[in-house]
Amino acid sequence: MRRRLQRGALALYPVAFRRRYGDEMLALVEDSPASSRTTLDLLRGALGAHARPPAGISATLSSEDRLRATSSGVLACWIAFAAAGFGFYKTTEDHPFSSAGDAHPAIGASHMAIQILAVLASIAVLAGALPLIVAALRQSRRARAVRRATGLALGAVALFAISTGALVVFASSTKSLSGTAGGVAFSAWILIGLLCGGACAFAGRSGLFAMRVRRRGLVAALTCGTLVTVAMALMALTTALYIAALAVNASSLAGQENGPFGMPSVGISIGIQLVVMLSAASLATISTRRGWVALRSGGAT
Amino acid sequence: MARPRATIRSPCYYYAMRYISERSTDPGLLVLSSLAGGSKHGYAITQDVEEVSGVKLGPGTLYGALSRLEGKGLIEPMPAEDRRKPYRMTSEGSAALSEQLEMLGRVVDTGLDRLRVAAEPA
Repeated sequence: MRRRLQRGALALYPVAFRRRYGDEMLALVEDSPASSRTTLDLLRGALGAHARPPAGISATLSSEDRLRATSSGVLACWIAFAAAGFGFYKTTEDHPFSSAGDAHPAIGASHMAIQILAVLASIAVLAGALPLIVAALRQSRRARAVRRATGLALGAVALFAISTGALVVFASSTKSLSGTAGGVAFSAWILIGLLCGGACAFAGRSGLFAMRVRRRGLVAALTCGTLVTVAMALMALTTALYIAALAVNASSLAGQENGPFGMPSVGISIGIQLVVMLSAASLATISTRRGWVALRSGGAT
Repeated sequence: MARPRATIRSPCYYYAMRYISERSTDPGLLVLSSLAGGSKHGYAITQDVEEVSGVKLGPGTLYGALSRLEGKGLIEPMPAEDRRKPYRMTSEGSAALSEQLEMLGRVVDTGLDRLRVAAEPA
């Protein structure tokens, strides 16, 4: 199990880094004891390799692969952002927040702007991903790696749909999701959702690198990814404005209980969501910039 | 005039000790020091570093350091042996290591001198 986790951690390294050092690292991992410390060290190393790529390593990647890495990176950021955004939506959907929005234009307008941007970003995600999904389904008959990635993504989506259906049935039978049983069910659904999101991001990345995609398709995905990135950055900034407006005009709401067990307050919940949103938007911006740089240096055809 | 007595808690002492502890466990410095003894592959480097300094470098830390050193031209890969690739220090790496160690040596000498003065009876 630990070996599998360590191989999974190796898969999280940037593609260029993995291609250059992957085999050697795997040999070293197999020679080292299978400890949790090694797994954590690999995860920390993967984060460092993304944040501070060693000089010259990106030059070893073709511009097509750089575009693949950018598209899959933006998808992963969007999944993390969407999870935080859904948390924000659930936190602020109740009546007191809509009343505060009606009473204070800054709260209402920023909330509305976030929803409009979320719809636009979702459309951009679909526009960028759909052609790639269709191509992956076509190629999955012939290529085993593509079939595996497609199967993983479809399985994750199916699992999430089933768990959402089960949660809806549970909520309608008990009339609400309050109480311990409701809290456990909602927490389990969140956990399953996060795991499915992670599986989709992983499948998207491995599938995109395993399949054949025309350069034109990759450029289209990069363009959609850029729109998604801009929307994420605007949503994160608007969420910060919403929090500021909430703190000034309806500070009593920020201290209210929130979450499945009422553990974090509304203020803390939105604060965590904002940190995730800002992190995802920043990483997507870095990734998108690298994609455009690669496109210019590789020549857009 | 009597020389002012340095105490063990002087800021200089703390600065020197912090510098030494941070620099001496810098993975890049440890890897370069290991390669100063001859070319080695990843596993041999971790074994050597652990034996010499007691620091156990994980695969992520080791390859983070190797990639940065290679990017700066301080080390270079040699032909692979199976999946293992040995690395050797370049002349630039040798110069950088010697500069770092000389600087560390000065800090160590100063720190030890100050400790000796602090331990002397007033």
